[in-house]
Amino acid sequence: MAAGEAQSREYLRRHRLPELLQRLGALLLFHRPERPREFLIQVLERVRAGRRAEGEFPFLLDEANVDAMFSLLDVLGQGHIRPAQYREALKTLGLSTDDLELADDVKITRRVFKKGMRKKMLESWSVY
Amino acid sequence: MAEAEEEEDAAPARPPPAGIYAEEQGLFQLLQNMLEELLIHKPDDPIEFMINHLKQNNDDAPRICVLGPPASGKTTVAMWLCKHFNAIRVSQETLLFKEVLMQTEEAKAYKERNQKIPNALWANLIQERLSNVDCIKQIPEFGEERDGFESASLLLIFQHGLGLQGAAHLALRQQQNLCLQGSFMLYASDTVLIERSGGKRLDPLTQEVFHTTFDWPSDPLVQQRLVKPEDLSEQEVSKKLLEYHRNFPDIFHIYQKVLKSINADQPSVDVLSQVLAFVQTRHRSDAPFTPRILFLGPPGSGKSLQAALIAQKYDVINICCGQLLKEAVADNTKLGELIKPYIDSGCPVPDKLVLKLLTERLSALDCLSNGWVLSGFPRDVEQGEQLQKAQINPNRVFFFHLPYESIMERLSQRRTDPVTGERYHITFRPAPTPEIQARLRQNPRDEEENIERRLNIYHSNVKALEDFYQDAFYVNADQDPYVIFEFIESCIIKPLPCKKH
Repeated sequence: MAAGEAQSREYLRRHRLPELLQRLGALLLFHRPERPREFLIQVLERVRAGRRAEGEFPFLLDEANVDAMFSLLDVLGQGHIRPAQYREALKTLGLSTDDLELADDVKITRRVFKKGMRKKMLESWSVY
Repeated sequence: MAEAEEEEDAAPARPPPAGIYAEEQGLFQLLQNMLEELLIHKPDDPIEFMINHLKQNNDDAPRICVLGPPASGKTTVAMWLCKHFNAIRVSQETLLFKEVLMQTEEAKAYKERNQKIPNALWANLIQERLSNVDCIKQIPEFGEERDGFESASLLLIFQHGLGLQGAAHLALRQQQNLCLQGSFMLYASDTVLIERSGGKRLDPLTQEVFHTTFDWPSDPLVQQRLVKPEDLSEQEVSKKLLEYHRNFPDIFHIYQKVLKSINADQPSVDVLSQVLAFVQTRHRSDAPFTPRILFLGPPGSGKSLQAALIAQKYDVINICCGQLLKEAVADNTKLGELIKPYIDSGCPVPDKLVLKLLTERLSALDCLSNGWVLSGFPRDVEQGEQLQKAQINPNRVFFFHLPYESIMERLSQRRTDPVTGERYHITFRPAPTPEIQARLRQNPRDEEENIERRLNIYHSNVKALEDFYQDAFYVNADQDPYVIFEFIESCIIKPLPCKKH
């Protein structure tokens, strides 16, 4: 059934389902709810709401987490991190680093970091 | 069909709590089911579809197709299954007479004119019926809700028939993309079928099928009501059989991956029990599985042997409680020093120490990632409860059963060679040369009175343990070790049978 299979793969790719399922899995394993079905329903409903700009997408990291992440990266407490670290952080979270044009000596402050993260996460969810 | 990679098995060293959580909740199966449904229906709005799918919560509901020649017992089996699972039965008759669907009128008109109902019409009828609310959300009789969602069941009978032929099945499959969970097929030889159909009787009120010889109803009121169904002459039946044989290869070809054949030429209870067993076995899933196995049984039942075999074949860690204690003492660890006096004096080591040792060992990384098999612990319910409190939960428990004589035979004839350390058995594994035989010694543990004592302790505790581990498997240990091993293997590999119904 090669045609059927090609069709199915195309469908998966078009709606970005593998990534979605991966995120759902990550959310489940991170939060470990008692009732996974209800949890998944809530998450999907939030995605739906986010799509209609009615609410927030279910981000894996909230603001406190992003803050903590920055503090981890900024070991010396200088208040800024290097672009290379920023790129790494994005990659760890599975966010794209394609359109980052930053010179290597620019200092990424906490605010810039948080804003950049948020923007990337929003982008990644908005395809749904 | 294409399936995306599941994330649970991508990470090489999963943090253990997540892995255990995923296993317990059956996350893999949940996500896989959802993906299957998505691929079958390919909705334009996947998010909406997924929300509805999760709300329906009917992953475990059986969707079964009963196939077979006339007089093989399909209706009887289907009705029984429906009663058992509280499911809905769909068949030729129900589609035409019981339900009032949009196209029923059209179908009836064909029947009046004695014409064959076209396959496309059948396919449409079935599709409509299946998408009716109660097939998707069956409202249970007493208004109870499970976990806040109503789960649904669906049971289909497709009988052979002048109306449904191979082509119809094909159309059906493509049109509704039924995700059938299990189909089975009743078969019997033609002569048996023709003979049987002669005695078929129908209850016009309940639509139940009875038989003059094999399945006579006990209620006299029902007996009086029974009528002989129309089109029952031997000629008619042979014609139907012929048609069935003509169409059957196509149908078989379509359903062959999920089809199981059940011999219908048996007493009905046997057929029913086979059917039920088949429907309740879940198919082997691809979910990642870390075995945590417990072997319990009297001394000499072969626990350590089986544990060693399993460990070797599946690369799980073999932990024998007695061995663990001795190793701790030999290694002079902190715990070992505490344990030493007990072992030296022959007193049983207190539970707390043993538990500490075990938890330490079982939480080591190799046990967590490869799984473990534990033999010789717990010996009583208290220890079992403590194990549970320490968050060590086995997912397969085996009780070895061995009659008293066999135990005595096996244990009292054990001997060890003090020079080489080899273990022998007087009957089953005698020492090769008389020289070795002369120097064999018996471990005082294996003297008759000590065996008796150990056995008594075991038997006084085993009942409570069996109650504690409800889902355990029982192994007949009085067999050849490889036979036992295969049985244990099959229990570990197959997913636990669906207990809901």
